[in-house]
This record gives sequence, structure tokens and C-alpha cells, in this order.
Amino acid sequence: MIELLFHITAFKSLPLGEVGGALTHIIILSTALFFIGMYGLFTRRNMITMLMSIELMLNSVNINFVAFNKYLYPDKMDGIFFSIFIIAIAAAEAAVAIAIIINLYRTHKSIDVDDVTDLKQ
Amino acid sequence: MPERAELGVMNAIIFSALIGVVMMLGGIVIKSNAGIKLLAIILLFILLGSHLAEYYDLFNIHIQTHGMLAKSRFGMFFNTIIISLTLLYVLLSGDEIVKVGTYGAEYFALIFFSLCGATILSSYNNLLMLFLGVEIMTIPLFVLTSSEKKNLKSNEAGLKYFLMGSFSTGILLMGIALYYGGTGLFAIEASKAANEAQQAFRILLPLGLLFIFISLSFKVSAAPFHFWTPDVYDGAPSVFTSFMATIVKTAGFIAFIKLFELRSVDMGYSWKILLPLIIILTLLAGNITAVFQQSVKRMLAYSSIAHAGFMLFALYNPNDFGKQGIMLYTVAYSLATIGTFAVLTKMKDYTYEGYNGLAKTKPVLAATNTIFILSLAGIPLTAGFFAKYYMLASALKESTSNLWLVIVAVLFAAVSVYYYFRVIQAMYFKDGNAETTEIKPFFKTLLIIIAALIIVIGLMPSLLLDLFYA
Amino acid sequence: MSNILSVLLQATNTADNYFPIGIQLIFAAGFVATMIAVSALLGPKRKTKEKLENFTSGIESHGDARQPVAIKYFLVAILFVLFDVEVIFFYPYAVNFRELGWEGFMAVLMFVAFFLIGFIYIIKKGALNWED
Repeated sequence: MIELLFHITAFKSLPLGEVGGALTHIIILSTALFFIGMYGLFTRRNMITMLMSIELMLNSVNINFVAFNKYLYPDKMDGIFFSIFIIAIAAAEAAVAIAIIINLYRTHKSIDVDDVTDLKQ
Repeated sequence: MPERAELGVMNAIIFSALIGVVMMLGGIVIKSNAGIKLLAIILLFILLGSHLAEYYDLFNIHIQTHGMLAKSRFGMFFNTIIISLTLLYVLLSGDEIVKVGTYGAEYFALIFFSLCGATILSSYNNLLMLFLGVEIMTIPLFVLTSSEKKNLKSNEAGLKYFLMGSFSTGILLMGIALYYGGTGLFAIEASKAANEAQQAFRILLPLGLLFIFISLSFKVSAAPFHFWTPDVYDGAPSVFTSFMATIVKTAGFIAFIKLFELRSVDMGYSWKILLPLIIILTLLAGNITAVFQQSVKRMLAYSSIAHAGFMLFALYNPNDFGKQGIMLYTVAYSLATIGTFAVLTKMKDYTYEGYNGLAKTKPVLAATNTIFILSLAGIPLTAGFFAKYYMLASALKESTSNLWLVIVAVLFAAVSVYYYFRVIQAMYFKDGNAETTEIKPFFKTLLIIIAALIIVIGLMPSLLLDLFYA
Repeated sequence: MSNILSVLLQATNTADNYFPIGIQLIFAAGFVATMIAVSALLGPKRKTKEKLENFTSGIESHGDARQPVAIKYFLVAILFVLFDVEVIFFYPYAVNFRELGWEGFMAVLMFVAFFLIGFIYIIKKGALNWED
């Protein structure tokens, strides 16, 4: 951990050049989106909003992949293809989640997670 | 151990996906529960056959995967184990599976798809495959967990599992993105950075690995990322809990080992702090909370967390003892857990009181369950003892300074004896009238076979390990 | 030639070149804001019941637009999302169509076949039946 922190603080003084500068901005954007998603997941109680927060997290990663690919490793398109896979998997995940939420709504008439606490002991 | 990376895909991956599709379509044609179960068993035998044909170099499908999947003896052997365990599981609990709801064939299809994800995890050589494997393995489980549609508990467990599962997927993806930013590759082998900007961004690599580590800890329910486990295991239908706690969990560990045997070096000194910390927290959270449980099902959920703590020891020395140990642990732990859960699903009452006097009403069930529980507790002469022994030995082999960690683990194993023995005490020494559903002779025979396997492996673990090197 | 191009590219990338766009944005926003403010201040105000109703092209509106939809609709919507998103994999194939040759074609054919199986499964299960 300590050395990771050290790495991060040393980040500023590195000779990143123009590429690194532009990329740093994008990383800040995607990191912000990622943690907004995480925050939403932990604070919101509406299941649909939570699902949206998760999608936000996954999509922030997509930004990261595309940016790394464009700025650091432009010779191959690995990163872009990875983001395509993420989009596809996220759709499958969302489908399953919505099915579960609809089923909960039918039996329980609520999509608030605070109402679903049968398992708490 | 020859690594045959150039040969590409394993039969097990292709066939497990195909038999899933066949099962899915079979559900449209076949309506009777018995027919569905029979089809599932036949398909599993086909899968096992195709896998063994490849294992002995008789027949395999060649597909160019560009190094994304690598065939290794370790992965192949693990696949043999999980396919056999799934077969055993379906033979044992097939009746219960079709009884969960009205979609018997779909449950089996989802189990096969999940198995496909597990086989990908045992052979991935690229982080894209890690991601796909994890997702293919867990998405069917979200459905299986919430498959008791009328039961609110099952739905809630499914939702919780989904939320935590996709949250950890988000972390995994962030980790992979940072890994990619640091190295420019998705391959798990080491690489070199070329230009200055790439060199500067290489510092993202340890951060990425940390994210992947956290995410995989979620998947294998290592503390402090274990909090979803008891609720999900408790809420899910018992038959599917059994599958989740065994095959899926051990596949998660294989994924863990495959990545970190190569890459733990890049995490540097923080790895040396992180791993023992996670191990101790996991052992603590699993064992101590399990003591206070009233329901056997919930106790088994916590005990599975405790076992995750032991399996994490394999990461200390993944090359030698660790790999053998994780194989032994997979077999010992899975056999015992499948057995206990099979008995559990037959019980009418899941609390300890529900087991009172089982020895009088159903002596065979009580006797075999005792052996499973002894193996879970790691008592000598059962497979669980050698599994734990190999795990602890791998930590000691790495460095004798790990002795304190081994002592802590042994102490926690002693704690675990308390809550495991409560079940045995209830079965043998308490008066009561344990009620079970109808039990077939075939079921009893299988239980005896599993118990015998546990004892044979416990007496001669070399039998299994020789197969590994054969 | 390439030298000129690179100079041009550099020129387009400086912040100065965005200045006219910025002016235009400010003008557009300012114009809209002024017009709304002026019409609100100077315009006549006659608040009758008919005036305050939503404008629906002369047809009388009835009921709430946020009515519950049949759960069947969600099933179709979910299936649409799945089948829609998977088409994304055709894009990289379409770009590399020639280079991948027959092997790539077979791979895509297999991919589509899996989809077709899924589709057959959906139809056989009656997920697309609206009446029951």
C-alpha cells in the first residue's frame, strides 16, 4: 500500500509529455465516473438506480480502455475490443438484473432495497 | 509438465457450452422430470468422456486462440475434477434440482453454462478470458439463486448476489484496465514497456493487480469482502448453494492462482502484507461467526468462508505444494460439502434441532454425514486433514517466518471443530425425531461411496496426487 | 507535404481556434435567455383553464401517461436489449471482412447460429406471444 501511495504521489513529477497530459485528464474523468457509480450503488435504495450505478462503473472502464489504447498502445486495437465485450456482458447482466427486479416487484410490490430484508439476522 | 499453449481450446469448454444448449432445447421436447434428469446425466457423461479423450490425447478440437487460452496439466486435471464433481452432484441431487421450480431443464442448462465458465477459468492465459470466464460462471448463478420465484428469500439473495457480483465485476474491469494501461497487454505473462510515456504509466500495473485481487476476493468470498456470502448461500435453494460453494468457489481459486503465481511479484512488498492480512481476516470472520449460527445451512455458509481462508494459503507457494494442495483441497472440500448439502436438502428443518436424533431414524445418513463433517473439520484419516496439511506446508515451505500464520490457522481450525461437532452431537447424542423427506436406496449408496472416497483419500492422498502427475 | 499537414494539425489543436465557437455559444445562450425573459415580461397573461392545459394537437387528453404496462412488454424489451447489443460484434467483423476470409465467416456463422438457437428457444417457450 505504502509504495502504491508513493507511486501515486510521484506521478506528478514524471516526464509524461503531451500524451501523458491528455491521458491524465481522461483517467481523472473515468476515475470520477467510476467512483460516482460506486457512491450511487452504496447510497441509493432504488434498485433501478443501483443498476444504473453499476452500468456507470462499467462504462467508466470503457473510457479507460479506449483512452489507453489510443494514447499509449495505438498499434493494436486490444482495448477497443475489450470494451465491446464489456458492453455485451453488461447487457446480459442488466437483463438478468431486470428480470430479478421485476420478479421481486410482482411478489413484493416494491423496488426499494430497504423493503427487502428477510435475510437480515 | 509440458505447457501446450499452441494447441488452443480444450474440449471441455466447447462441449460444456454445447451440452448446455442441448439441455436448453431438450427442455422443450422432454416434459417429464425423470427424463430431464436422465438427459442431464447422459450429457454430463458425454462431457466427461470428451474431456478424458483429450486428457489421454485421443481426440481434441483445434481452434486457434492466439494464446488466449493455454492448456496446462494443472488446468486439465482441475477440469477432470470439477466435471466429475458436477456429475456426482447431479447424480446425488438431480431430483432436488428439478423440484425447485417449473423449469427443470433450464436449471441444468444454467449449471452447464456455469461449468463452462469454470473450465475457461482453469485455462485462461489472457485477462479478457478471465473476465469472460468469471461472467459466464456467475451470471447463470444469479438466475439459479433467485430461481424459487415465489420465495422472497430466494429473490432477495439473487438480488444481493447480483449487486455484489456486478460490483466486483466493475472492480475487476477497472483492474484489468489499469493492468492494460501499465503493460499494454492482456496476456498474463510479463511484458516490457517501450517508449517513455508507456514507461511512466507502468506504475498503474500494481494498482491494477490490487483491483483484480480485491475483485477475485469478492468472488471467492475472502474477508473483508465476504459479507454477501452468508445471505446468498442461505437464501438460495439448498441444491444450488451446494454447487456455488464447491465448483464455483474452487474455480475462483484456480483463477486466483493462475494470475498471481506469475504476477504477485509486480505487487512488490504490499503483497507480503496483503495476503496474510486477508487470510487472517477470512479465518476470523468465517470461524468466529459460524460459532453463533443456529441454522446448519448458515453455519455451512460461514464455514465455506473459513475454508476460503485455508485455500488462500495456496497463493504463498503456487508452484509446488500450493498447486497439489489446492487440488487436494478442491476434492476434499467439495466432496464433503456436496455430501453435507445433499443430506441438508433432505432435512425438513435446517436448524441444529432439526438434526436431533438423526442417528436413530436414518443411521446411514447420520454416519455418512459424520464423515463429511469430520473431513470439513480436518480430522486425521479424512481427506480434509491432508488438504489442510498441504496448504499450511506450502506457506512454511515458502519461508519459515510464516510459522506464526500457520499457528493462527491451526488455532482457527480448532475453533471450527466446535461448531462442526455440534451437528454430530445433535445427530447422535440428542433425543429427537429428525424428519427427512423420502430417501432412495440409490441416494444412500452414493453417500456411502462419497464417504468411502473421502476416507481413501484421507489414508492415501498420494493416489490422487499421482494422478496429477500421471 | 507531410510537414505542412502536421503544422495544420497542430494549428487546429490549439485552444485559440475554439474562440469563435465559444463566442457563438455565449450568443446563442444569451439570445435564448433574453427572448424568454422579454416575452415573460412584456407578453399578455390570460390564465384560463383551457390555456393551462397541455397542448395535445387539439385532441382532448385523458388519463395519466404513466400507466403501468403489461409485464409481457418488459420481457420483449429485455430480449430486445440482448439481441440488439450482440450485433456490436458484427462491426469488427464487417471492418475486417476480407482479411478474415472463410475462417472468419465460419466463426461469425457459428455466432449467428447460437443466436438463432436462442431465438428458437424464445419462440418455443412462447415468450413472444402477446395473447394468452
